[in-house]
Amino acid sequence: MGIENVVKRLTPRHRPFAQGESMVAPVGFGIVGILLAVIGASAWWVLRTQRASVHATRLDQAHTVCNLLSQSAEVMMAREELSSLRRLVAEAGREYKLTQCRIVLPSGQVVADVHPSGITFKKLPPSWSKVAQDVPAGSSNDHIISLNYPLDVPGRGAARLELTAPVTYPSWSQWEGPAGVGAVGAAALAGLLLVYRRTRSRLQGMGAIREALISLDKGEAVPGALAVSAHFGPEAGAWNALLSEKEELRKQIVTDRARESVGYKNETHRDLAAACDALSHGLMIIDQKGRATYLNGAAATFLQVDRADALGKDVVDFIQEQEVVDAIRAGFSGSGFRRTSVEVDRGGGTSGVLRFVIRPARGTDSVAAVIIIEDITQQRVAESSRNTFVAQATHELRTPLTNILLYVETALEQGDSDPALRDKCLNVINQEGRRLERTVGDILSVAEIEAGSYQINKDDVRMDEMLEQLKFDYEAHAKEKQIKLTFDLPPKLPVLQGDRDKILLALHNLIGNALKYTAADGQVTVSAETAGNRLVVEVIDTGIGISEEELAPVFERFYRASDPRVAETPGSGMGLALAREVVRLHGGDVTVRSEFDKGSTFTLTLPLPAEAARDEDPRTATRSGHRSEG
Amino acid sequence: MRIHEQRHGAVTVLKVDGPVIGTDADELKDRLLRAQSDTLGRFVLDASGILLIDSKGLEGLVDVAEEMTKTGKALKLSAANETVRQILELTGLAALFEHFEDANTAVRSFL
Repeated sequence: MGIENVVKRLTPRHRPFAQGESMVAPVGFGIVGILLAVIGASAWWVLRTQRASVHATRLDQAHTVCNLLSQSAEVMMAREELSSLRRLVAEAGREYKLTQCRIVLPSGQVVADVHPSGITFKKLPPSWSKVAQDVPAGSSNDHIISLNYPLDVPGRGAARLELTAPVTYPSWSQWEGPAGVGAVGAAALAGLLLVYRRTRSRLQGMGAIREALISLDKGEAVPGALAVSAHFGPEAGAWNALLSEKEELRKQIVTDRARESVGYKNETHRDLAAACDALSHGLMIIDQKGRATYLNGAAATFLQVDRADALGKDVVDFIQEQEVVDAIRAGFSGSGFRRTSVEVDRGGGTSGVLRFVIRPARGTDSVAAVIIIEDITQQRVAESSRNTFVAQATHELRTPLTNILLYVETALEQGDSDPALRDKCLNVINQEGRRLERTVGDILSVAEIEAGSYQINKDDVRMDEMLEQLKFDYEAHAKEKQIKLTFDLPPKLPVLQGDRDKILLALHNLIGNALKYTAADGQVTVSAETAGNRLVVEVIDTGIGISEEELAPVFERFYRASDPRVAETPGSGMGLALAREVVRLHGGDVTVRSEFDKGSTFTLTLPLPAEAARDEDPRTATRSGHRSEG
Repeated sequence: MRIHEQRHGAVTVLKVDGPVIGTDADELKDRLLRAQSDTLGRFVLDASGILLIDSKGLEGLVDVAEEMTKTGKALKLSAANETVRQILELTGLAALFEHFEDANTAVRSFL
């Protein structure tokens, strides 16, 4: 287990070192240990190298001496100068501190020796064996060097130079190198300690930071436990600043998360409020005390209150409809809210009919009920229109049908005996049949308009021809009723783009109505003119007229004026409505001006095609063309 | 510019004739806001007679449409001509309105 592991396992309270020393001490000890090891190894190496050098020098010296002695000995022995040879060997032994130096013949007799007592052969024979003894060339160890040099004495024989030199290592110089290395190492160590002392505080800082990191890795999260003393230097300050930033970030993240959580709820509320505001139905929430806690935009509009003012108020303070207030009060006074629906007709004008649906809201403490407000005015109008339509259609279909059945019965019973009566019956049946056909046609048209499938098939419509046709159609009828029918038309009328049959139907209805509600000796005038980009057709009669209050609804389907003279005149109440629908489908309109008992003027306007409008200059538009009377 | 008012059952149809430019825009906006208040939003703007509309007119229509959006309603336009439709499309304002081919269809949409 290394020291790192020991440090890791120690908790801050049980550390043997002061803060930061856990890294400094191992580093210091490690460096000193390595330095001492290096110094020891260096000293050993120096000593070893020095001894090898002394040994090599001594060996070289021994070889040099052997070479000199062997050359000199061969010459001297050949000349038999033994005394000189023996002096030379003795001097060499003394000079080079040789323990042995001698010249030996193959017979083993010593000719010369560094020690005179060792000489065994005083005088050389004339010749001796030329074969040298087989001896090793030499050997050496750390303390002794032994060499054997062969000699060849010219004209006499072989010999051998034996030399033994001790290797002596001077004791004082043997430790000089290691001592030097040790001194240098000690100096380096001292320098290192100096540097260490100077850098210790910084290393302590780094060590303290390292300890803090290890603690952090082990889960320590208290900023105080991770902080490093500021006296360790700038690194400690930077570390503490990082810790502060981390703590600030942590707090910021916690705060942001809390805000996000709250913001999400607020955002959800805003989204919900925006969604409720997009509802066309009014939505109001009331609490247990009957106070409005929420209104959407539609509810504020329906109740005609300001949302901000209404919030928090008792609903009975701003809901004007007594039925609704009663329903809400009943919810609070009884056993609780039940689903209730109240329809309130705000009367005439434009306010219409509102339906209040009060529903209990269960499962929440702050919400007692939800009130949904729906504008059902148009539905009620449509229902009323539909009911009237059914009633009128039934009546309109039954009347001619009754007449037909009656006259058919009469014709069957009396027709054979009275041909004139039979013809009259057939004529009435024919008229009532046509009336029935028109009524059915009108009903179908109304149904198509209601369904949105009433379409116009545009084509060229020659208005002059159409008006001439109408004049022809109604001349006899006007004459029969003794009404003066006048068509005041210009010589030329533009060609329109439209559905000929439907425009003809509209004009039929207008002219037919004028003749229908004009008494004998009255007058009906049909005029036409172009005005700007429009064709204007006016049907003016001197009939019963329409009261001012009935002018607006006269174009409503099945509407019939309250004038008793109208009730006496057969009619479906659909003619004017159809005429206006048809003309509006063409982009025009039908309007009316009238004076009760004096007559009415129905004005039909239709847009002209662009080319026709250009051709017709309004300044030259005229209605003084030809005037024809029926 | 002239504004004609027609009743179709419980629905009021406001038909505008002529270009909506300059001070016409204020008049039209006031009339539409009054109609919104009076009819609780049951009205249609028949734009078949609007030949041209300028930026002020558009602004007025947008103001009314946004006011109606707050109450869950939409400003119903009927029979707007090609020029007006293109202006609304190009300015990205078309989505603020409900568009109908004619006034009758717009009126039926209240059912």
